[in-house]
Amino acid sequence: MLGIVPLVQEFGLSRLSLFGVSPDAITIYLAFIALIAGQRSSTSFGFASGIIIGILSGNIGLNMLVRTIEGFIAGYFHIPDSSHSTTKQKTRRIYGAVVMAGFCGNAVFAIGYNPLALSPLYRIAVLGVLESFLTLILAVILNWLFLRKSLAD
Amino acid sequence: MRKFFSFFINYNTYLLFVVYCSIALLFMKLQNDDFVTKLRNSGMEFTALMSEKLGSYSYLLNLQKENDRLMQVNTDLLSRVLSLETAATDERNRQKILADTTINASKFTLARVVERRFSDRENMLVIDAGWRNGIKKDMTVLTPEGLVGRVTSVTEHYARVMPLIHPDFKVSVVSDKSNSMGILSWNGGREFIAHVEHVPISSHLALNEQMVTSDFSTFSIRGVPVGRVVSIKPDKLFYTVEVRLAVDFSSLSQVLVAPLKAEPEKVEISSDNSTGEPFF
Repeated sequence: MLGIVPLVQEFGLSRLSLFGVSPDAITIYLAFIALIAGQRSSTSFGFASGIIIGILSGNIGLNMLVRTIEGFIAGYFHIPDSSHSTTKQKTRRIYGAVVMAGFCGNAVFAIGYNPLALSPLYRIAVLGVLESFLTLILAVILNWLFLRKSLAD
Repeated sequence: MRKFFSFFINYNTYLLFVVYCSIALLFMKLQNDDFVTKLRNSGMEFTALMSEKLGSYSYLLNLQKENDRLMQVNTDLLSRVLSLETAATDERNRQKILADTTINASKFTLARVVERRFSDRENMLVIDAGWRNGIKKDMTVLTPEGLVGRVTSVTEHYARVMPLIHPDFKVSVVSDKSNSMGILSWNGGREFIAHVEHVPISSHLALNEQMVTSDFSTFSIRGVPVGRVVSIKPDKLFYTVEVRLAVDFSSLSQVLVAPLKAEPEKVEISSDNSTGEPFF
């Protein structure tokens, strides 16, 4: 999955752009990893996916940093196995992780690289919120199609 | 020692996070290093190859539209050729003066745009011509309509192009009628409007004048159309000039790559400021 998700993001989802932003499958993947495996795993997976997406997009260092931060933030939404949480609670956690990690990752990216010369505030406040929203919609769709079953197990 | 190990065990996630972030920052610092550049270029080669494969399907589906556009370009070029032929007789006497050794159309390379990114995270083009086709860094990329950008990195089969509508792109331009000179750049906003800086208030620049690349540019061949002046606002010393760009970046599919303008002495003397005097 670690090899596939960045490819799907780079060659598929990054082309579905609305006002220059697109939904981010990697953030959803990191949120899912964080929920089931914890913060250490999500941070490591974030770092690894950052390397792949960085090599593909040409901005290696910044992508590594952004994805590591996303994985780390998503890790705060981890639910231990012993908690016996319901599927609904886990789903809420995933959505929370997607929004928080996506928004923070976008903010770091906005500070690090600005290829369209947009105002940083506009990128963080408007495009960051829009990207988080699009990613959340994708997370809802993926949850409805695939994740719900995994979370119920 | 025990405390150290217990600290390490208790906070290992934070330490891991700090290590990863440090590595990422190191990569950002060394982004022009040989190893990182090679890694980036191989990634670009792969991305371009995949994009080309994916793009070829939509390319086939849009052939009708592409044919119509090319027909329109042909019509425009035909009208230009006809008007040029009429003027050719008058121009013959001035041919020696107008002959410019820096422009040799036979050496232009035709390339197809295989990847186009214009988002808040990326702003670049990838063309399907690399060093195997004679493409080199800093070559000018253009279409019959006007300037597109400059080559920033090259692999065996592909080249990455920084478009004119990138905040880091600057080119020296001159107007065709009043000969007013300035530096063209794009500062964000609308993708078809760029700005010309350093046009003195004393110049006679008028609306609708065409701006073309000047001989002052260190990379671009001269005379490439850039756009038309649509707004001139006077400031204290300089005009604030807006130019409507000649190239429609939203429908760019084929480009030409001009041969490299080899002027090492000019670059050398331009960058040499040992006398301490300002250089313009």
